[in-house]
Amino acid sequence: MTEQKSNNRFSLRTFGLLLIPVILLAGVIALFLSTGGGLNLESAAPVEGLSVERYHLKENMIELQVRNTGPQELTIASVIVNDGVMPFEVTPDTTIPRLGKASILVEYPWSYGEAYGITLFTSNAIAFNVDIPVAFETPQPSSKTFWGFTLIGVYVGVIPIFLGIFWFPALRQLGRRTMTFLMAATAGLLVFLGLDTIAEALEFAAKVPSAFQGIGLIGIGAVSTFLLLDAISKRQTAITGNETDRRLAVAFMIAVGIGFHNLGEGLAIGAAYNVGEMSLGTFLVVGFIIQNITEGLGIIAPVLRDRPGIGRLAIMGLVGGSPAILGAWIGGYTPSPFLAVLFLAIGAGAIFEVIYEIAKLIQKDTAREGGAMPMVVFSGVLTGMMMLWVTGLLIK
Amino acid sequence: MKTGFSRRDFLKAGGLALLGTTGVAAIAQANHSDAHPLTHNHSANLTPTPPHGGHDGNLPGTVGEVDHDRNGFDPTNLLTDFDYGKVSRLPNGQTLREYNVIALNKSIEIVPGIQFPAWTYNGRIPGPTFRCTEGDRIRIHFNNGSDHPHTMHFHGFHPSEMDGVPGTGPGGNILPGETFTYEFDADPFGLHLYHCHSFPLARHIAKGLYGAFIIDPKEGRPPVDREMVMVMHGVDIDFDDVNDFYAVNGIPFHYQNHPIQIKVGEKIRVYLVNILEFDLLNSFHLHANFFNYYPTGTSLTPAEFTDTVIQGQAQRGILEFTYKYPGMYMFHAHVTEFAELGWMGMFEVLP
Repeated sequence: MTEQKSNNRFSLRTFGLLLIPVILLAGVIALFLSTGGGLNLESAAPVEGLSVERYHLKENMIELQVRNTGPQELTIASVIVNDGVMPFEVTPDTTIPRLGKASILVEYPWSYGEAYGITLFTSNAIAFNVDIPVAFETPQPSSKTFWGFTLIGVYVGVIPIFLGIFWFPALRQLGRRTMTFLMAATAGLLVFLGLDTIAEALEFAAKVPSAFQGIGLIGIGAVSTFLLLDAISKRQTAITGNETDRRLAVAFMIAVGIGFHNLGEGLAIGAAYNVGEMSLGTFLVVGFIIQNITEGLGIIAPVLRDRPGIGRLAIMGLVGGSPAILGAWIGGYTPSPFLAVLFLAIGAGAIFEVIYEIAKLIQKDTAREGGAMPMVVFSGVLTGMMMLWVTGLLIK
Repeated sequence: MKTGFSRRDFLKAGGLALLGTTGVAAIAQANHSDAHPLTHNHSANLTPTPPHGGHDGNLPGTVGEVDHDRNGFDPTNLLTDFDYGKVSRLPNGQTLREYNVIALNKSIEIVPGIQFPAWTYNGRIPGPTFRCTEGDRIRIHFNNGSDHPHTMHFHGFHPSEMDGVPGTGPGGNILPGETFTYEFDADPFGLHLYHCHSFPLARHIAKGLYGAFIIDPKEGRPPVDREMVMVMHGVDIDFDDVNDFYAVNGIPFHYQNHPIQIKVGEKIRVYLVNILEFDLLNSFHLHANFFNYYPTGTSLTPAEFTDTVIQGQAQRGILEFTYKYPGMYMFHAHVTEFAELGWMGMFEVLP
């Protein structure tokens, strides 16, 4: 009893000790704010930042969704569209707090297919420019565009993955060695996809307002996903310990990783459509079906020697492919670089964790074979990477 | 343009190909079916309504009002604000007109919500409209109350040391806190202007140091019912040597938001000065009317009967016209991109 009390007193004391630097910090900040700390930090001109997250074109109406990314609040004072000062409305208010969002509405008779340049002036006469390279009505959530985006997702994600899964019966006939080769190829495939996902995340991160630290966000998303999946997988092994279940779990995780990757791809496509980045060519559609078929192959590789039911295979296919549909919807209707970075980072984390899981499975297999197939892993991984690289090369 | 084509680009393109075939056609169709609803708006509206207060939404312009009191001037008043100076008579019988001018840094609300850190003569843009008669002695006591060297350079006949240009003596570079008196005889009659001639010239003019200088002929001009001065200029609020707004007498869109009221049959004389920086030309177009044009105002015989006149930088001229019908009539730069950036106004012709 007394010991506990002294323990308590001790922890209170620890708490106090922990608090001391915090109190001192507050003092230093207060001192710095009141005196300037001997530094002359008055800037000659006000520093303001405004990022236009999205524009939205409706009949006779241009809407800009902006975010104040500067160090202090700013006020929108003037909107100029193609050399015309236009009346405008800002909701909720013309003064936007730091990191606050606002929507600027301009009634403007824009014409289909033409280009528009918009200049926003803040009350400090700082200009921010927005380019609308091709004006066309931003897709509204209607049944038509909804179906269009759904179709994109189906083609990008669902169809290729199921096509890959259809190899399952044939590949089951293969020997253990070939299966290991396929597993290694899957790992190679995923390495390629993982790098691609990271590259995409970096690309989106550049569009995220600097205050949201896009690159840091990639780290948070990727590392935490990796560690979380790792923890889940270890726990599962501890519970079941069953080799078959374990392989099935890996297959599911591959599906999840690829799913996130496809979500990112859907986002990119939806967003690209929204800003009018259009290029036509049905051969490209055929191209990505060929390329993404390998994703389906990757999902089934770990479970080739087992007998997962058709239902399970179908679920894995949907987990891997259908996020592309969701991504296209989100990207098409509310594109957000912030979300894109987060999803892509999660995807990258998941993909790299799955590579780690596959590596463990392969290691177990090779150990069982007495380490007799070192070149199988090498050639498998290389084949996996080359598959994506070469199919990409042929189409691009 | 990107040169590489990433996997994502490739997917994007493919995806768009799909959406292209499904959705775009429908969207494009929807867009074409209701083409140009705006034109209907305008053509249907035969009786003009005063645009001030209530825009119909599609008309370019500013919303709200700048704070004229804080600015210290109202363009409506500047129209007819002719400064004849402190008048006295010299021993030789010549009329002496004395003016006090101070150069001041001043923040001016140029459009609602935007302060322009201007350089001004007497705190206003444009500076005072000096008006005198041919042969008068002009004496301008100039005081530089700003933190930059400035001068006053007048167009007209005068000795070199009164030219207000660096290198011509003490009048060519008046330092902050210093004073100088420019003195010369008003000659020739016509519509002239004055501006600062310190280096860098374009910036010193663009920031607001200019004004009109009217020398009436000895016998005067034929009488009219109303006279007004309009100084056309630009406003480069972000100092990138590109005008962001255009205006007459200081505030963009002012005479659109506050039409100038005149009456049917009244003879109107406009002293029009162009002191636009960064753009080559400015112009004035009068709707539903024609005017007699007197370039530089140095002749009493009009050179042209027209409805549009072009002026290069520092060019000026006098316009005389009369409206036959009541209603709202626009006047604006027919360099039309200036119009929607502020150089637009209205005459409200009352019966």
